[in-house]
Amino acid sequence: MEDMYHADRATSTMQDIKISAKNVQVHYGDTHAIKDVNVEIADKTVTAFIGPSGCGKSTFLRCINRMNDTIDICRVAGDILIDGEDIYDPKVDPVQLRAKVGMVFQKPNPFPKSIYDNVAYGPKIHGLARNKAELDEIVEKSLRKAALWNEAKDRLDAPGTGLSGGQQQRLCIARAIATAPEVLLMDEPCSALDPIATAQVEELIDELRQSYSVVIVTHSMQQAARVSQKTAFFHLGNLVEYDDTDKIFTNPEDSRTESYISGRIG
Amino acid sequence: MTTSLLTADARTTKRNKAEARFKAYGLGAIILAMVALVFLLGSVLGNGLSAFQQTYITLDVTLPEEKLDKSGERDLAVMSKVTTIGYAPLLRDALIAAIEAQGIETTLSKKDIGNLISKEAAATVRNRVLANPDLVGQTVTFDLLASGRIDGYFKDRVTMESAALDSNTSPEALMIADALKDAGMVATKFNWNFFIWADASDQRPEAAGLGVAILGSLYMMAVVLCLALPIGVATSIYLEEFAPKNRWTDVIEVNISNLAAVPSIVFGILGLAIFINFMQFNQSSPLVGGLVLTLMTLPTIIISTRAALKSVPPSIRDAALGVGASKMQSVFHHVLPLAAPGILTGTIIGLAQALGETAPLLLIGMVAFVREYPAAFSPDAGLFGEPAVALPVQVYNWTQRSDPAFFERAFGAVITLLVFLLIMNAVAIYLRRRFERRW
Amino acid sequence: MQSLTLSFLVIFALAIVGYVVARSRALYVADGDIRRLVSLPSQHALNVAMSTAIPPLAAILIFSLYARLTDGQVSWLAGFVFIALAVTGFALSMIGIKRETRARNLAERWIMGLLIFASTIAIMTTVGIVFSMLFETRNFFSQYDWRSFFFSTSWSPNFRGDSALGILPLLWGTLYVSLIALIFAVPIGLFAAIYLSEYAGPRLRSVAKPAIEVLAGIPTIVYGLFALFIVGPGLRDYFAAPMGLGDSALSVMTAGLVMGIMLIPFVSSLSDDIINAVPQAMRDGSLGLGATRSETIRQVVIPAALPGIIGAVLLAASRAIGETMIVVLGAGAAARLSLNPFEAMTTVTVKIVSQLTGDTDFASPETLVAFALGLTLFVITLGLNVLALYIVRKYREQYE
Repeated sequence: MEDMYHADRATSTMQDIKISAKNVQVHYGDTHAIKDVNVEIADKTVTAFIGPSGCGKSTFLRCINRMNDTIDICRVAGDILIDGEDIYDPKVDPVQLRAKVGMVFQKPNPFPKSIYDNVAYGPKIHGLARNKAELDEIVEKSLRKAALWNEAKDRLDAPGTGLSGGQQQRLCIARAIATAPEVLLMDEPCSALDPIATAQVEELIDELRQSYSVVIVTHSMQQAARVSQKTAFFHLGNLVEYDDTDKIFTNPEDSRTESYISGRIG
Repeated sequence: MTTSLLTADARTTKRNKAEARFKAYGLGAIILAMVALVFLLGSVLGNGLSAFQQTYITLDVTLPEEKLDKSGERDLAVMSKVTTIGYAPLLRDALIAAIEAQGIETTLSKKDIGNLISKEAAATVRNRVLANPDLVGQTVTFDLLASGRIDGYFKDRVTMESAALDSNTSPEALMIADALKDAGMVATKFNWNFFIWADASDQRPEAAGLGVAILGSLYMMAVVLCLALPIGVATSIYLEEFAPKNRWTDVIEVNISNLAAVPSIVFGILGLAIFINFMQFNQSSPLVGGLVLTLMTLPTIIISTRAALKSVPPSIRDAALGVGASKMQSVFHHVLPLAAPGILTGTIIGLAQALGETAPLLLIGMVAFVREYPAAFSPDAGLFGEPAVALPVQVYNWTQRSDPAFFERAFGAVITLLVFLLIMNAVAIYLRRRFERRW
Repeated sequence: MQSLTLSFLVIFALAIVGYVVARSRALYVADGDIRRLVSLPSQHALNVAMSTAIPPLAAILIFSLYARLTDGQVSWLAGFVFIALAVTGFALSMIGIKRETRARNLAERWIMGLLIFASTIAIMTTVGIVFSMLFETRNFFSQYDWRSFFFSTSWSPNFRGDSALGILPLLWGTLYVSLIALIFAVPIGLFAAIYLSEYAGPRLRSVAKPAIEVLAGIPTIVYGLFALFIVGPGLRDYFAAPMGLGDSALSVMTAGLVMGIMLIPFVSSLSDDIINAVPQAMRDGSLGLGATRSETIRQVVIPAALPGIIGAVLLAASRAIGETMIVVLGAGAAARLSLNPFEAMTTVTVKIVSQLTGDTDFASPETLVAFALGLTLFVITLGLNVLALYIVRKYREQYE
C-alpha cells in the first residue's frame, strides 16, 4: 500500500506545491516572531530555511506541524495549507496532522526504549500495522531508509540511547519515517553531530527527497547549499528571499541575503 | 493513506476520547485532593470553633463573714483554710435565690441546681476573695462558668434527648438554663481563658485551657531555635564551603538525608534512652522535648541552609577572596548575610514542623497531667526543667478523655495550633518574597 | 551540678574579660597604631576568648559523659580542673599577643573546629539512635526468646510474666494500613502531579499547588483527630455497618484513608520534581510523531520517570510505616491478623507508644520490647530510605 503510494507520487512533477503559507504571523507573548510570511514549498524537494539565530526560521518550521500549539503563549495567524487544506482549521486534529508531517529535532531525542520500540512507537499509536509481522516490516523498512539497518539489525532490543550521536539522529529520522509522513521537517538536525555523522545524515536527506517533501532548518550555509534545491532566507522574522538554492548562493537579489551569504551579518 | 486532514478518522476520535479520559483522571485527582483539604479544614473548624465560646452565669453571690472568715480579721492564712467545698454552697444558694427571684418553677433538687455551675467556679470565687479579702461580707456580682453540659446545650452538643439519658444533667436543668438565658443571666462569651487556663480534670472540661501547653510549646521552640539554628548553620557552612570531598563527608551527607526520613517516633525512643535514662534529665520537661525536636529539625534546617548557601554565586566569594579576605571571612562577611533570608525561611519551616510534632513527645513523658505553669528556670529543675505539655500533645490528651466536651476542646486546640503554623508559614513566605534575590 | 554551673559562669566571664583585655593589649603592643599589627585587635580578642572557653567546655562535655557512663558524680575538684584549663588558655593566648602574631589564622582554626564539631552532631544522632536501641534490645532478647518475637503470631502483654510478644500481628497491621494509604495516595498524587505539570494552566496551578502543599504542612495529630472523630465514625456508619463488615470506628481503613490523604502531597511533590526532570525534547519527540499528550505521558514520560517514581513511592511507604499519630488515634490497639479492613488492628508504632507511656519498668520485657520494635521499625524504614534515595539519585544523574 505504501509502495503504491510512493510509486504514484513519483510520477508527479517537481513543481507540485505541497505546502503553501499565506500571510503567516506568529506572536510569542508580546514578541512578533514571524511577520507576514508567504511561501510555497514543492513536493519531492529539499527546502532549506537559513538565516541568523533568532530570525524565526525554527518558529516557522514548528508552525507547519503545529508543534507551536504546545507552547502556551504562542499565537499563529494566517493560513498554512498542506495539499490545499488549512492545517489551522478548527476541524483539524493536530495529532493527525503530525502523523502526516513528521519532525526531526535539533538534538537527537530517542526515547529511553529499545531501538525497535523507538521506531515502532509511531506506527503503534497510529495503528498502522495490523499485526506483529507488519510492524516488523515497517520497522525494518524505516531503518533501511534511514541507513541504520545494517548497524542496528543485530541489536534491535538494545536501548536507543546507547547509540552514537549520528546513529541516534538517524534513529530519530527512522522513527519519523515510520509513521509514513508526507512531509519531513528537520530542525537543525546536524547541529549536535560531528562532521562524519553530519555527512551521513546529509546523504540520507538527499535520498529522502525521493519520497518526501523535506524542509530543513540549518544555520550552516554550506549544508543548505549541499542538500537543498530551494532555499528561503529569513531575517528578523521576515522571509527576505526564496528561490532556487543555486540562485540564492550565486546571485541573490536582496542586499541582506548577500550580506548574510558573504558573512557580513549573522 | 491520503485522507483529508479535515475529517477525523475513527482511530483519532478514539484516541482523543482516551486523551479526554486521561485528562479527566488528572483533574479528578486534583479535585479529590482539594475536597479532602476542604473537608478536613471544614470539619476541624466546624467542631472546634465552639471551643472559643464559653457559657457564663452571672450571679450576685453573698459572701458571708461567718462562713469565709470566722475570726473576722481578714487573715489570709486563716481564710485560705476554707476550701472550695466551703464556697460551693454559697454559689448554689445564690443560684437558687436567683431562680426564685425570676419566678422559675422547678422540681430539681438543690444539689442538681448547684450542678448547673461548674465545679471550677468555686475556685474562681475563692481566688477572688483571697486576692481581695475586703469582699467578704459583701454581695458581689460574679461571671461564673456554667457546667460543661449547660455550655454544651447552648452549643447544640447537648440536647433534651441526650440529657434525658445523662446522669450529669437532665432536661429540667436545661429548661432552667433556657429560662435563665431569657432573663439575661446566662451569656456565651469569647473564651479568653481557653488560652490562659491550665488543663482541668475529667469532671470539668469547661475549665480546661491551653495555657500550660502554649507555654510548654513556646519553651521548646526556644530550645530548638537556640540549638538547631547555630548547629544547623555551622554544619551547613562546613559541608558546603569547607569540607573536602571524601568518604567522611559523603557519610555525613548520606546520614543527613537519611535522618530527614527517620520516623519521628524513633527520635522519641532516642530521647527516652539518651536524655532521660542516660543523662537523667527531667521527664516531661521542655528541655528534653526541645532537645529531641532539635535533633529532628536539624536535617530540615541543614538542607534548606545548604540550598541557600549554594544559591549565593561563586563570584561573591571570589570577589571577597580577591581583596585578600580569608576563606572564613568571605563566608562570614559575605556569603552568610546573603544567604540569611533563605536560612531564616528554612528555620521557620523547621520550627513549624517541630511545633506540630507529637509522637516523640509522648515517649518522653509529656503526656502527664500538668496543672502548674512551668517556670523557664528554677533552682531545682534547672533551665526549662519543670514538667510541661505541648500543644499537639494536649490535643492527644484530650482525645483520651471520656467527656465529649473535651473533643470540642481538642478541635479548638488544633485550630490554635494551625493558626500558629499559619502565622509562621506566612512569615516565612513574606521573608522569602521580601528578600528573595535572584542572580 | 552546682560546681558545673559555677564552672560555666567562671569560664564565660573569663572569656569575656579576655576579649576586652586582649583588644586593648593588642593596641598597646602596637603602640596605638593598628597598622603595626599583622592581625586586627578584634582577631586577637576572638582568639583569646575562644582559647579561654573552648578547651574547658570540651573537657566538661567529655568529663560529664564519662561521669554518666561510670555513674560517678562530678566532684568539686573537677571544677578546679576546668577553671585551670580556662586560665591556662587565657594566659597562653594573652602572652601570644605580639605585633607579628597571626591571630586571624589562630581564631579561624578555632572556628573551623567548631564547624567540624557541629557537623558531627548529625552523625552522633544516628549513632545515638542505633546504640540506644541496640543496648535495650539486647536486654530484651536476654529475657525473651528472639524466635518468639520474630515468628510468634500472638501479641498479648500482661503483668503475670507470660506475655506473648510476637511482632507479626503488629507488622501485619502496619503493612496493611500502609498499603491502603498507598493505594489512595499514589494514584491521586501521581495523577495530580501529572495534571499540574502537563495540563494545568497557570491559574489552576497557582491555586492547586499551594492547596496541596497545605495538606503537607498539617501536623499528623490533626489528621489523627480527623480520623478519630470524623472519618472513623463516617466509615462505620456508611460503609462497614451497612455492609456487615463490623462496627468499629477505629479500623485499618480509617487510618489508611486518612494517611492516604496525608501522603498525597508527599507523592505529588516528589513525582512533580521527577516528571519535570524528564527532558522536554523527549515530549517533543513524541508529540512530533503525532502522539496525543496522554500517549506521550503514558508511553514516554512515565516510563522515563519510572525509577524516580518508584523511589518516591518507596519514600512514601517509609513515611507510612513510621507514621504514629494517625494510627494511634485511627487504627486501634488490638493486635490482630485479619483481612477485614474495617476491623481495628494495631501497628508497630502504636505499640511503641503504648509500651513506653505511663508507668514503665525498664527491667521488664513488656517495656523493653518497645526498643526491639523501634529497632525493627528503624531498620525497615532505613532500608527503604537508602534504597529510595539511591534510586532517585541515580535517576537524577541520568538526566544531568
